[in-house]
Amino acid sequence: MSEPVPDIPTRLRTGFFSGLQTALKLCKFVVPIYIAVDLLKTTAVVDRLGALFAPAMRLFGLPGEAAFAFIAAFLLNLYAAIAIMAPLDLTPWQVTQCGLMMGIAHNLLIEGGVLGSTGARGGLLTLCRLVIAGGVGFLLELLHRLWSL
Amino acid sequence: MDVLIPAILGSLMLAGKLLLIIVPLVTIFEVLRHLTVFQRAGRAIDPLMRGMGLTRDAAVPLFTGIFLGIAYGAGIIIRVAREKRLPGRHLFLMGLFLATCHAVVEDTLIFVVLGGNGWIMLGVRILLAVGLTSLMARVLRN
Repeated sequence: MSEPVPDIPTRLRTGFFSGLQTALKLCKFVVPIYIAVDLLKTTAVVDRLGALFAPAMRLFGLPGEAAFAFIAAFLLNLYAAIAIMAPLDLTPWQVTQCGLMMGIAHNLLIEGGVLGSTGARGGLLTLCRLVIAGGVGFLLELLHRLWSL
Repeated sequence: MDVLIPAILGSLMLAGKLLLIIVPLVTIFEVLRHLTVFQRAGRAIDPLMRGMGLTRDAAVPLFTGIFLGIAYGAGIIIRVAREKRLPGRHLFLMGLFLATCHAVVEDTLIFVVLGGNGWIMLGVRILLAVGLTSLMARVLRN
């Protein structure tokens, strides 16, 4: 670690501004996604497409509409995913379930590339993430159902 | 109009919550990052690293990934992995750990904003990452 250590006020300033920059960059796409999903909810589009995914999502104790959040999480990132989830009125348990599964598998294209560029096998690791996320989600839902019997 | 206004308000609420989480988090991280406590913590965790088939060299990329995330910490992860010439087996194990468990603070908090249980999300991910990596370290040895 040859990096020189800046003093505390400098660090506070650097941290504050880089945090602000990241947050604003995220808000720029969280806000329009949230509005779009909230408006689409008043039409039949979300219901119809959601019904298509409902059987798969039921394995994890989630409604079909949650599939859109998963697609966004896999291809984009968690911020896009929560912008979709927020208007869906999920229960706290369902949010935990989504958070756990998406926490494991998200932003697969970019992160797969980064993992690959360290010299590890990016594709294999990405597959592992999807399998692990699915397995964990399924097990947690199983436990949840046993618990609430 | 009566659907548009709640949609806009809801989105602004979410944006506000994200700002309230990210800005303090990044600021605190930037202040704490240089403390020697972090370096000492690295030593304390040595036995756990060995259990996962990893050595000290993998500690910096691993911790960067755990706290900052893969995409954000990419620069540091790639540089250290190259400089230290980590062997393929270590790269895979480190990758497996990070694939399951990275950016844990930020990821967990944004779902807590929506009402999720942070302890379950955080706990399961950490246990899973340590468990799977240790398991694979043993499998790959043979």
